[in-house]
Amino acid sequence: MNLTSTEPAEIDLEQLLNRPDIWRGDSRSLVARTSVDSGYPELNAVLLNGGWPTQTLVEVCQKGLHQQEWLLFSPVVTKTAGYIVLLNPPAIPFCQSLIQAGIDLERIVIVQVCNKADFLASFVELARTESCEVLLAWQPQQLLSYTELRKCLLATNENNGLCVLFRPESAQQEASPATLRLLIEIRSKDVYLGIFKQKSVLQDSAPVSLPLPKAWKGFLPYHLLDQITLPGQSGISPTKRKSGSVVPLRRGKR
Amino acid sequence: MTFRNTYRNNWYRPDSRLWLALRFNHLPLEALALDNSENNAMVIIEKQRVIYMNELAYAAGVRFGIDVTTAQLLSNCESHERDKNKEMKVLADLSAQLYQFTPYIETYICQYLPHTGLLLEISTCLKLFSGTTSLLSLITRFLQSAAYSFEVGFAHTSKGAWLLSFQPIEIVGNETKELFCERLKKLPIQLLHDFPREVDALQKTGFSTLEDITRQIDAQKISAIKKRLGVQFSQAICDIFSIEQNLQQKKLFDTPLTTYKPVEVFSENIQFDYPISQNDQLHYPIEHLLQNLSQYLRKRQLACQHIEWKLSDIHRNSFLLTVHSDSAESHWELLYDLTLIQLDNRELPFEVDSLTLNCRDANPVQNKSHALSFNHTRQSRAGTRSFTITMAKLKARLGDAAIFKLSYRDALLPEISNAVIAINEPCNQHLPDIHKKALRPCWLLAAPVLIEERKQSLYWRGKLTLLAGPERIRSTWWDTAKARDYFIAQRHDNVRLWIFLDLHKKTWHVHGIFG
Repeated sequence: MNLTSTEPAEIDLEQLLNRPDIWRGDSRSLVARTSVDSGYPELNAVLLNGGWPTQTLVEVCQKGLHQQEWLLFSPVVTKTAGYIVLLNPPAIPFCQSLIQAGIDLERIVIVQVCNKADFLASFVELARTESCEVLLAWQPQQLLSYTELRKCLLATNENNGLCVLFRPESAQQEASPATLRLLIEIRSKDVYLGIFKQKSVLQDSAPVSLPLPKAWKGFLPYHLLDQITLPGQSGISPTKRKSGSVVPLRRGKR
Repeated sequence: MTFRNTYRNNWYRPDSRLWLALRFNHLPLEALALDNSENNAMVIIEKQRVIYMNELAYAAGVRFGIDVTTAQLLSNCESHERDKNKEMKVLADLSAQLYQFTPYIETYICQYLPHTGLLLEISTCLKLFSGTTSLLSLITRFLQSAAYSFEVGFAHTSKGAWLLSFQPIEIVGNETKELFCERLKKLPIQLLHDFPREVDALQKTGFSTLEDITRQIDAQKISAIKKRLGVQFSQAICDIFSIEQNLQQKKLFDTPLTTYKPVEVFSENIQFDYPISQNDQLHYPIEHLLQNLSQYLRKRQLACQHIEWKLSDIHRNSFLLTVHSDSAESHWELLYDLTLIQLDNRELPFEVDSLTLNCRDANPVQNKSHALSFNHTRQSRAGTRSFTITMAKLKARLGDAAIFKLSYRDALLPEISNAVIAINEPCNQHLPDIHKKALRPCWLLAAPVLIEERKQSLYWRGKLTLLAGPERIRSTWWDTAKARDYFIAQRHDNVRLWIFLDLHKKTWHVHGIFG
């Protein structure tokens, strides 16, 4: 007597359609709807749902080390109420700068790891933690495989926080399951942001240019000092201001 | 029949109390567990003064209170520092073992002299042990087996029994309150060790025995003693003799007996049917034992931070695995996760035959401190808890040093002002005005990195160009003077760096990165 049924179990179509990961022709329905304001209107304009996607993995490829992570994410970090965890950061953040930016030090926790296994275990654990609202993670020296990235992505789906993984520029050529992938590069006058993958957006988004902080531009070169418009002196052309002009020294004839 | 006989042996009224004092006169020496077999002169010292000497030292002229150098000159004795913790541990162990005789056990420690002992109220257990003499013989036999020398005092009050232990009299079992009082009256007043000033004053006025005090009380009431020697002393005299003061409802003012609470330790064991060689097979037994521990803790309103696993095999080899948690827990889930983290990192040393869970240190849940905040919602508290649990798990995996917070330390040098603290500690976020306006990088290198100078240009992973500065920082003039001029520099790839010129060494260093 055969006790096991040979007929396949009836699968309700409604049940299947309720699953969020089944493609139904409308590709945008697959993407997480929740997002947080990035703090930059020009960036929000190109991001789906008008901000950084939460409950998923955001991958930022950096050209070289230390490419404006704080510049990009400090508006989000300042606004969130939960914990901000820096996993495997390339250096120690300078507390004076964080206090100046209005970031609460009580909510910033730094986790340092030695190897890839510890990184993955910590990432998964932190991404699943409810009160960890922002997770900024820097890939360890060993490269992460697609399977490992997929593991990270699944962990981020369990929580509502913003999870960002910083990777080197070379990772741009590798496949990744991250929902949003972008390249960041600092230029002489601005910060370039190129979005090369955004789930559910087929055409390439236009690159975004973010302004550099004024203080970073430094002092003007000597020959341009003359062009500064001082407060209360606007409208006077530099040629008319004799006192402000710098005249090169010439040896006169005797 | 037996009951009737035992009742006959009990001579005391049901409401009267009987105290047995056990004075451990050699405890300072015996607690140290020293080898005294060589018959050397030995002294125990506290603050460089002798507080105990053995017979040989006493025979050589060493007395209580003399300094250690004099004692060594007199007797060439060995000196050992007193260890009060060990003495307390001996008393706690003895109390736990004497709990089999009576539930009312008090510890007596003299403030001024090294006198310690235990006071046992035995009136309620005379019937159980067939009278005073048989109970006393049982206790004596037990203490002799424990190898601690002691003296016994027996009286109707605890303090009276303690005093009578200095003048041991054979206990018959039919002593009455009057007889106890008569015995107490003969004692010298010097035995009131807790009141050295009062004893001195009494001696000067011609008092020599306790009877002199009782006679004074009979003549002038207790208030005269209270007036001259203080409330505490008069209360002590009342406690020694059980003098009833004029109270309308005496029962209400009776001092309640202290019930001894034995130290409870959780220990449970699982024997396996077959030897276990893989970690995964231990998961279910671990969960089962931890659930039992959780039930035990919650029933007693306790929480623990530290548990111990003992893995044993059939050859009596054992392996200990200790699990620490940052927060005190009464739920099993976190302890389970922490245990698995520890187990995953290692292989089983042998085929495990039995698994034991021990939890020795548990604290009452009420002692837990909580932040008083009226804005915190239930959800945010739950969030903090989930974060604490995550941090505990990460600490178990990565170590305590791998997880930290930052705090500002009031200092001029950047590397000193950036303090790394544990995540439980509060941060200092008060930045002085001098630093508020200055431009600071987001990343600070652990130590300044030397910049290469080539053809009057600076190089650190690329050519550097100075953009702004300098900002001069001078500090630690009292130690190694440091003077630095900080600049913002731009590298060829447009990354902004925070660099400085060491004014003493004339060298350039990278110290931070604007990111």
